[in-house]
Amino acid sequence: MNVLEVENISKHYRQGGTRIEAVRSVSLTVREGEVLAFLGPNGAGKTTTIKMIAGLIEPHTGQVGIAGINPHRHPQALRKVGAVLEGNRNLYWRLTPEENLAYFGVLKGLTRSQAKRRAATLLERFELTEKRKTAVQNLSRGMQQKLAIATAIIHDPLLLLLDEPTLGLDVEATQTVKALIREIAQEGRAILLTTHQLDIAEELSDRVAIIQKGEIVAQAPTQELIRQFSGTHYVIEIEGELTFEQRETLAAIEATIESDRVVSIRGTEALYQALGILKPLPLVRVKRDQSSLTEIFLKLVRNEV
Amino acid sequence: MLKLFLAEFRRSWTQFIRYPFEAIGGIFITTSIFYGLFLSAKYVTGTAFQLGDRFDAIVIGYVLWTLILFIMTEVATGLQYEAQTGTLEQIFLSPYGAVLVFFVRAIASLTRQLLIIGVILAIIMGLTGSRLTFPPILILPLITVLMSAYGLAFMMGSLALLLKRVQQVLGILQFGLLFILATPAESWTGWGQVARWTIPMTGSAGLLRDVMAREAGLNWLELGLAVLNGAVYLAVGLLLFRFCERQAKKQGKLSGY
Ligand SMILES: Nc1ncnc2c1ncn2[C@@H]1O[C@H](COP(=O)(O)OP(=O)(O)OP(=O)(O)O)[C@@H](O)[C@H]1O
Ligand SMILES: [Mg+2]
Repeated sequence: MNVLEVENISKHYRQGGTRIEAVRSVSLTVREGEVLAFLGPNGAGKTTTIKMIAGLIEPHTGQVGIAGINPHRHPQALRKVGAVLEGNRNLYWRLTPEENLAYFGVLKGLTRSQAKRRAATLLERFELTEKRKTAVQNLSRGMQQKLAIATAIIHDPLLLLLDEPTLGLDVEATQTVKALIREIAQEGRAILLTTHQLDIAEELSDRVAIIQKGEIVAQAPTQELIRQFSGTHYVIEIEGELTFEQRETLAAIEATIESDRVVSIRGTEALYQALGILKPLPLVRVKRDQSSLTEIFLKLVRNEV
Repeated sequence: MLKLFLAEFRRSWTQFIRYPFEAIGGIFITTSIFYGLFLSAKYVTGTAFQLGDRFDAIVIGYVLWTLILFIMTEVATGLQYEAQTGTLEQIFLSPYGAVLVFFVRAIASLTRQLLIIGVILAIIMGLTGSRLTFPPILILPLITVLMSAYGLAFMMGSLALLLKRVQQVLGILQFGLLFILATPAESWTGWGQVARWTIPMTGSAGLLRDVMAREAGLNWLELGLAVLNGAVYLAVGLLLFRFCERQAKKQGKLSGY
């Protein structure tokens, strides 16, 4: 089931006489249990899109549906949405984790006892129980971010919007947040996240959408996109010395010898020829060379496709 | 509704007492001001005993003054503060809708403030040994004053939604408030009477003076006008707030871009 359906939303701003096209006709869908990584360079329109989904910015054209309900017309739709918007500061700094969770639970429509029960579970699960009585301003940044995410799902929403959830976190905190995001998706929630850390996007996401200058330039399942861009490049690693003759014949089939032990080659047919040429040298491994999401991203936004 | 009110009250109260020194310091300062007020009144009139009802009037007047100042800046300063800390957008994500949340918030923080003032007055009475008495009917004109004050508060909040910085406007408003509350508009004639019931709070403040100091009974017709004045300002304030919320969403300004 599609939890989120965004159809052709656009937004422009006027600033000192010039018209800024922040988002142009963007369409997205996210299914339950799916993580969509929404990627794009600075100023591409990610935050604007997320806020239009959350009902915080009104689109000029287009429709947003959260479980089929438009949050711009029916605020009840917001019961199904949780959001951590830019940075990690959507908490009351003077309140403790417990108090924040209880307050936001009620704000999102729970009763106090529901909110408190759910808060206890989340604190336990996010390993914050020990700190539940410490004011948020005295927590580490990683803990604050975990709490921000816990607060965003206090009311058990179907859709979770995360705008740069790992910004400013150290390596360990990033790992923890990553694991939490994966867990939350496994519970069946739909997650839309933006990040500039593409390795995280590659690891976490089921699908990616890449936006540039307000327009979606690619939207596909992550692995498919990687496969599509990887083509048929192979790397063969061998043990032992290549003879002069072998080098010559390999060059003839346009294989490149990257070092004494690594040969790279394009195309499946050439791969088998190369293997024939290399015989009987022992092979260490044969691997298809995959592009990383980072390379694909750069290609796409630089318009090299 | 009630659960939202209780949550807001709890939040506002917890934030207030989280740092006890700050909270006690605040109460201490206000109490000192009140006590000073009392001492100087005593000095002017000779003895505290003769002060009687006049003293009550001074205290009530001062309480009212601080309360209205608090109310009028509350919504706007709260908005600005939360825009900075990042909690503002979460309020707009509430299925209750922002207008209702802010309204309930306003009532919750008024309750908190009344509690604090109650504590301060109790301390003062303990210190001076005098008892504060006021006619219960005072509540009625008081409510109309509060309604207009909240109307203005939401108008300031609306400005804050769109302009972000409204410190100057708030300053001017406080100055205007001094004029509104202190002017004996009862003596105005002709169009002055129209002005008395169209300017926020002037009429209601006069009624309060009647009840408190002059020991006059309540003029029910005038109370009706005061209720109307309060209701209109409150309604306009809330509607304007709703309008500016939409405007801010159109301009992408909710978080203070
Ligand atoms: N309220 C506004 N008024 C005018 N221009 C705006 C407003 N909000 C955003 N913009 C502009 O719209 C464009 C998209 O901004 P947006 O914040 O959505 O980008 P982003 O993809 O989130 O960038 P980043 O990666 O830096 O967070 C930018 O050019 C930005 O300057
Ligand atoms: Mg952004």
